Amino acid sequence: MIDSSLRWVDDRLGIAKGGRTFLDKIFPDHWSFMLGEIALYSFLVLLGTGVFLSLYYIPSAHEIVYHGSYLPLQGQKVSEAYASSVGLSFDVKSGLLMRQAHHWAADIFLGAIAVHMARVFFTGAFRKPRELNWIVGVSMLLLGIVNGFLGYSLPDDLVSGTGIRITYSIVESIPLVGSYLGFFLFGGNYPGNGIIIPRFFLLHVLIVPALIIGLLAAHLGLLVKQKHTQFKGRGKTEHNVVGSPMFPTFMAKTTGFLFMTTAVTFILAGFAQINPIWQFGQYEPFQISYAVQPDWYMGWLDGALRIMPSWEFVGWGHTIPLEVLLPAVIFPGIIFNIFFAWPFIEARHTGDLAYHNLLDRPRDRPKRTGAGAMMLMLMFMVFSASSTDVLANFFQIRLNSVLWFFRIAVPVIPVITYFLTVKICEEMAGAEGIGKRKPPNLVHRSATGEFSTVPTEARPGDGHEELEAVPVPTFIDMVPADLATGPGIRRVMR
Amino acid sequence: MFRGRYAIPAALLASVGIFGLMAFSPSAAQADSTTPTTLASAGGGYTYPTPTTSPTVSASSGYGTANINLPETFIAPGQAIFDASCASCHGADASGTSRAPNLQGLGAGTVDFWVSTGRMPLADSSVQATEKPPRFNRTETLQIAAFVQSKTPGTGVPIPIVNLSAANLESGGSLYTLNCAACHTITGAGDALAGGAYAPSLHLATPTQIIEAIRSGPGNMPRFSEGNLTPTEAHDIAAYVHGVIQQPDDRGGFGLGGVGPVGEGFVGLLIGVGLLMLVCFWIGERS
Repeated sequence: MIDSSLRWVDDRLGIAKGGRTFLDKIFPDHWSFMLGEIALYSFLVLLGTGVFLSLYYIPSAHEIVYHGSYLPLQGQKVSEAYASSVGLSFDVKSGLLMRQAHHWAADIFLGAIAVHMARVFFTGAFRKPRELNWIVGVSMLLLGIVNGFLGYSLPDDLVSGTGIRITYSIVESIPLVGSYLGFFLFGGNYPGNGIIIPRFFLLHVLIVPALIIGLLAAHLGLLVKQKHTQFKGRGKTEHNVVGSPMFPTFMAKTTGFLFMTTAVTFILAGFAQINPIWQFGQYEPFQISYAVQPDWYMGWLDGALRIMPSWEFVGWGHTIPLEVLLPAVIFPGIIFNIFFAWPFIEARHTGDLAYHNLLDRPRDRPKRTGAGAMMLMLMFMVFSASSTDVLANFFQIRLNSVLWFFRIAVPVIPVITYFLTVKICEEMAGAEGIGKRKPPNLVHRSATGEFSTVPTEARPGDGHEELEAVPVPTFIDMVPADLATGPGIRRVMR
Repeated sequence: MFRGRYAIPAALLASVGIFGLMAFSPSAAQADSTTPTTLASAGGGYTYPTPTTSPTVSASSGYGTANINLPETFIAPGQAIFDASCASCHGADASGTSRAPNLQGLGAGTVDFWVSTGRMPLADSSVQATEKPPRFNRTETLQIAAFVQSKTPGTGVPIPIVNLSAANLESGGSLYTLNCAACHTITGAGDALAGGAYAPSLHLATPTQIIEAIRSGPGNMPRFSEGNLTPTEAHDIAAYVHGVIQQPDDRGGFGLGGVGPVGEGFVGLLIGVGLLMLVCFWIGERS
């Protein structure tokens, strides 16, 4: 029955052949190749929970009197957006669970992108022919950050309103066009005419997700078309892919991973409270709370703003607020331009224009690894700087000392990190037997009481995986490789 | 083919997660309605700790305006404690020395705040006096306050009689957000201010101490006179801090310290992404 229906479909669409190729797609077995899937599946959780939330959320700044079940708010004038956000948390069954799962999934989504990106970077998987896919990925990171900020702004609580206020100031700080751009976005001077919430809602639920889905399709399409990269190893060459097929092995793994991602997100959502908007209250432009930060993926911008000295340029009747423009516009602009252009920067630097399907070990490319570690450290330091007040309060040190620590540490520590990482990589490359599993020693005691150690035989599987550091190839190796063997392992030619 | 090795543990964990959450979700929490209980205890439950030789309530009309009249008999024992524990810095007649400020005219409420929160006697002369367990019991504190008040009768901040039963939480909430949240944070957790000063956490403050602090402006805190905040409004704020800030409705799970997205970010990255990377390691190498 099923067979004949499928045959009917295939007779008309002819998809069986393509489907077969797809089901036979080979996935390398290294665990780090599945990091991107955390992002993929938390995106699915975001879509699912987001649809649920959109059923109850009202994107309107229209002022009403709150009459929900949270008593301290009873009778207060609030916006419909805020009232419906509190309402879906308190008066809709499992609404709070869904809202918290949505928020945690967003934090995990961007965290997973960062981890996946680090894996791709440190192993050199972005090199020719995969530069395009790298750019697609960085674009998704950028859109993910933007959409996270938009979603954070929608509940119209005190914390999110503060974020919108800061954003307006950042837009205004752009020379020449800033104030016009701010007026265009907000429909007038801040806080606008109540249209910013409907606009953010439209962007958050439709336009940006549609862009992300489009890029995601391109990301996965390119992945199938170009096939996976793989680590060096027995039977693995530039011309094949060794690993498990899509069906059944990878399908089982990835389905399990989908469940696990959902489970972890919902466990967090059930046990750890995130963004308790009922405690924050409705946003009013004249109110502010201390200790307000954006979500972590925006935290690095907040940190850059905090540690910037208050410089401004005044001349010819105009003011350019450098204290906002430099950290909040130019700094992220430089960072993302480096992200986008990295494959080309590196190719230009090394002169390596060859195709690469085999991955590098991070230690074999000290400068790249050092640059990556430097960027991660820079991001971490700037992110930490967004919690100057929390750190000062927690460790009971002067806020000014924390601020000055970060002003010095943010430029200095990443540079130290670079040289340290390069040095460690070089030391590792020169060391004998590094990364090898050490065979256990047997300790013997002779009849006279003398101790001696005897190394045991290497265990099966040891040794042959050990790889030599190779220089950047200047030609493509055409020598056919020996076949990979082993149950469940398949190899396809590219 | 589809081996239970991956799917069954994952599905089990997923179901455990979802059921665990149901217990914490509003649908389960709706019936027992924590909020009204909280409010009831905030409103009616508070009683002023009466000292042994009862101070009397000053007769005045209007909600929130009653103050404690300290009896004359408190002054002499108060002077004895003051001589032993305070006079070396503040001077024998509380008029101050080069080491410590003049206390005359500040009123019994100011003294009560500093002594009952343990800020006085001072632990060390750093930027800001830190709160610690109080050195004196309630009666001794009121005796010291009576002695200082006796130097300038009728001036300064009085010790209020707090009755939160008629307080308005909604008004207290918006007044708190407007006047207090900018330093003490919206969750009352407190935070660091410039130059080593800090706004302390409000989670242990009693309603009496809150009103005394509002009126006297200890340390870096601004002083709010009755023209800024009427007695009723001060009581509303105390009721909000006592009933909502100190007993927050953390129905979403663990509150994570109420410090906002920084704590959430660390949890999301370390526990969320970290756990999933372990899962990745667990599933990933199998073929």
